[in-house]
Amino acid sequence: MSMERSMRQFEDDRKEAVRIASLLLLASGTTSPRVGGVGECTIHTIDDECDIEDLCQQIEGMADEDKGWKFFKRDAAILRDADAILIITSLRSLTDPADINCNMCGKLTCEYLRESERLPKGPGIAFTGPLCIFRANNIAFALDGIISQARNLGIDYGVFWSAGAAAMRMEIVPRDTGFALGVGISVTEKSPFRDIPLRYGEINQRTMNDRIIQRLWPQFRSIYS
Amino acid sequence: MAKKDMTELVQSGLDRAVELMAVAAHNSFRFRNRNTIKMVTLGKEEMEEIAEFCYSLGDMSPLAARDGRFVMELIKEPCALMVVGDNRKSDFGYNCGACGYRTCAELNKAEEVESLTARGPSCQFKNINLNIAVNAAASIAWRLGLHCRVFGTLAFAALALNLIEEVDIVSSVSVSVANVDPYFDRHKFWTKEYWDEIFEKEFPTFSRGFIGAVEE
Repeated sequence: MSMERSMRQFEDDRKEAVRIASLLLLASGTTSPRVGGVGECTIHTIDDECDIEDLCQQIEGMADEDKGWKFFKRDAAILRDADAILIITSLRSLTDPADINCNMCGKLTCEYLRESERLPKGPGIAFTGPLCIFRANNIAFALDGIISQARNLGIDYGVFWSAGAAAMRMEIVPRDTGFALGVGISVTEKSPFRDIPLRYGEINQRTMNDRIIQRLWPQFRSIYS
Repeated sequence: MAKKDMTELVQSGLDRAVELMAVAAHNSFRFRNRNTIKMVTLGKEEMEEIAEFCYSLGDMSPLAARDGRFVMELIKEPCALMVVGDNRKSDFGYNCGACGYRTCAELNKAEEVESLTARGPSCQFKNINLNIAVNAAASIAWRLGLHCRVFGTLAFAALALNLIEEVDIVSSVSVSVANVDPYFDRHKFWTKEYWDEIFEKEFPTFSRGFIGAVEE
């Protein structure tokens, strides 16, 4: 077997490992507990490079909508390095309060929550709250199911709420989704989710490559040849 | 090595397991890498108080009363309850809108609403951090082979009884070393008459002959 061929094989197997891992993470997230035992969350895997790029562009586009969302650009740069993204959704938190009058949303009864006005969809609004927090808490269980499985499998992971918000904005999740989070996973030798330098949105491997190799080197070469 | 009998071993093992759960909850994943949760573990005396309180809510919440009856049974064997709580206000600055306010500052300024179960309105991400901690504790309990279940009702009771302080939102993990897993298939805590009555009320069509027929 030639060197070239075995390198290619490694790359193919790595991608296959990502696909299998993402399904196992989905399984663990799906079987994690749900309050009330009612089906509430869905998990969607995005492992196509172009789909990930679309999602990252949406995240970047949202970065300027709110001063609290500046870090979305960094999130997009990190997620471009992810091999797959899992989006966890909460389907009942928007339309179907849990009817236990828990007051976590600040409305004394679920009837008050049903009657209360939702934030309008639009720039600067990620989730159209108030949501049923009791229902949306299921997302925490699903998320920890995914994280603990990723740790067991030795898969690098990062959690990004920006990815969930962007997926909702792109309408690639079920229609009644009230709340969504994203988990990026990676099967690479260096975890893309750790050791994030400052200004990573501007200065990362992709922009360095573009600026130094694609731009400075050809210019240097044409001048000094 | 000194001889230890089973009761002592089980009890000290349970105590150690609860400590490990606390570590797992403390170090669980959280947004913004800020751990602001507070937790306490409760023994049988406090759990009995909780059971009585839950039972007293019978008229308001049949589920709480069921859990009250259940805890009275549970404390007959080695068990513990870990209550985890957090503040309701956001220190994230995400301005995500999930709480119904446009910005975190608006949420933090909103009027506090008190009730027996929680003080709202609360930040969605605070809730998620809290519940991830709870799930991490439950996951360690499960790996250590303890019987466990996450309870909202018992946590609400602990909050109402001030067993956990300086928190607004709570959840709890109950663990047990009973002979039989006490947490699932808890039929005996409902009477047959009550169950039949509620089933008939909620699903009247189940026992009907065909659509539209009413049994005399």
